[in-house]
Amino acid sequence: MRQKVKSFIVEVNKNNLMLFLLGIAIFIVMGILQPRAFLRAANIRGMGVQFPEFGILCFGMMLAMISGGIDLSLVGIANLSSIIAAVVMLKEGGSVYSIVLGILCALLVGAGCGVFNGFLIGYLKIPAMLVTLCGLQLYTGLGLAITRGPAITGLPAGFDKIANGSILGIPHSVIVFVILAIIVSFLLRSTVYGHQMSFMGTNEIASKYSGINNLKITLITYMISGILGAIGGILISSHYNSAKTDYGKSYTLLTLLIVVLGGTDPNGGKGNVLGVTLAVIVLQLISSAFNILRINSFVKTFVWGLILICTMVITRIIDNRNVRE
Amino acid sequence: MRNSFKKKCTTNEAIVAYTIIVLSLVIGLMNPAFFDFSTVITLSRAMLVTLIFAVIEMVVIISGGIDVSFPAIACFSSYATIRIILVCGIDNIFFFYAIAGLMGIFFGVLNAVLIAKLHLPALIATLGVSSVANGATLAFLGTEEYSNIPSHIDSLSKSFLFACTNSNGIVYQMTSLVLIPIVLLIIVYLLLKFTTFGRGIYAIGGDKNAARIAGFNVTRIQSIIYMGAGFLAAVGGVTYTILMRQASPQNLMGSEMMVIAAVVVGGTRITGGHGTVLGTVLGVVLIALVQNNLIMVGIPAHLQTFVVGLIIVLGTGITSIRAKHIANSAKV
Repeated sequence: MRQKVKSFIVEVNKNNLMLFLLGIAIFIVMGILQPRAFLRAANIRGMGVQFPEFGILCFGMMLAMISGGIDLSLVGIANLSSIIAAVVMLKEGGSVYSIVLGILCALLVGAGCGVFNGFLIGYLKIPAMLVTLCGLQLYTGLGLAITRGPAITGLPAGFDKIANGSILGIPHSVIVFVILAIIVSFLLRSTVYGHQMSFMGTNEIASKYSGINNLKITLITYMISGILGAIGGILISSHYNSAKTDYGKSYTLLTLLIVVLGGTDPNGGKGNVLGVTLAVIVLQLISSAFNILRINSFVKTFVWGLILICTMVITRIIDNRNVRE
Repeated sequence: MRNSFKKKCTTNEAIVAYTIIVLSLVIGLMNPAFFDFSTVITLSRAMLVTLIFAVIEMVVIISGGIDVSFPAIACFSSYATIRIILVCGIDNIFFFYAIAGLMGIFFGVLNAVLIAKLHLPALIATLGVSSVANGATLAFLGTEEYSNIPSHIDSLSKSFLFACTNSNGIVYQMTSLVLIPIVLLIIVYLLLKFTTFGRGIYAIGGDKNAARIAGFNVTRIQSIIYMGAGFLAAVGGVTYTILMRQASPQNLMGSEMMVIAAVVVGGTRITGGHGTVLGTVLGVVLIALVQNNLIMVGIPAHLQTFVVGLIIVLGTGITSIRAKHIANSAKV
């Protein structure tokens, strides 16, 4: 019996276990410090509306990172596609049909931006980091050219329900997040594409010589990442009930931090949905705890950077020890 | 003979130079006010700090890394030092540069440990350091902007090399701070071209393992680069503070994008191993020209981010296509 438990613990990813314990620890500490404010239903609901926004972007970042690249343009894609959705919805007059059309357009724009990234990375062999950094500028600039600065408001009634509404007390955005988590997990574990992608991330040259079409895999990866960006963008704009180019500016660093914290290898090849999901929740708990304790929001930037560095250093030291053994 | 001439005319630097000339002609035709010596002065003022940052970024990229933490380091060290100066009433330019430089070196050491010692990916490590430095500045040092720079330090912003008057009678003066990037450029040029250390930077950017086997101490070279980058980032921050006559905790944040763009447009390969000082200078000139003169050509302000982004994508695309072409062409 004891052996069984032991082997089970060894089998469950150590990183995920640590994240899980960390999450519980935050819950306990905050429950003791501020039981009223932290454990209140409104706070937990508020968290439920917030974390899917960047959580979905994290999945895009994770896919790009597993394939051996990185996607820094996600926030740009998110804002551009939500702006296009807003423009379409306003033009079509604000019926339910227009909302659906707007969302479809946003997904198309996201996919298009992703394919553009993928083309530059996979075909022209420009490093992903540079392409997506430029992409961020390009997509933000395009969004700015459309909005001319101010936010687009007056979105049709009902659009704000996408992020702010709920079924049986569960916010819609959480449901979207869970569905996407399952889809991405399925893609990674049970499809040929997912396995080919992680092979490519581990060793690009070896995957090329073993007959994997690297260009195709890169294009698909960044397209999915772009679509995820667009979904994140719709949730963000639905949450604020408006669309603007500089929403979610801090999310780029945050998604990178979460993905690395969630056990994704920055050099490519490794990563799992469960780890990233746990990391998303832990980060949201920390963020919420900071708000309740009324800590200056700039401290958050500082702490996030610190967590990012510490996680990577600890992982690296553990890895080095394993290699030596 | 003819072949080498042809080669010289199609180098990356030459292409950037042609672009600059064509662009200046276009701007000048649309707005004759551009063809005035005052433009040179305005441009060099705008480029001054970018040049300092671009040179360090170039060296880091040549060595096969990347550094996105320099704006945060620059802000932290110049802002923290100006606070010390204001509290203690020390009015000394040398003190300003020295203390800020020390703080810059501290962050540089942090980068060096993470990247050279622990072999973490440079982008993510420097992004983390950037977040720490920026968060620390805003959370622990404050968000207030100071424009009461002590008089002795402030006097540097009012010392000029020469002045000229344009046709409307407006006097343009070349600030003497422009000497800092010029001296820096010459030093880095000599360092990269004529020292073993400089050749080592190219070597580890080309192939780290080959460089190690060839006898270069990779860890030491990388550490020195990141420490130097931290120091020079601080110098850039201090120079910016003096130039603007105002200390702000985050006005440089976000400039990393433009600097990386300028370096890459100037022909430095982001994968490391290639890059020249001249190319970087031309890249900075091109980006500064675009940024400062889009309004003169009549492109509205809300389109500028997009146009700059487009130019960067085109610039990097051309560089990469050339690199791909060279890689695929027949080797002698």
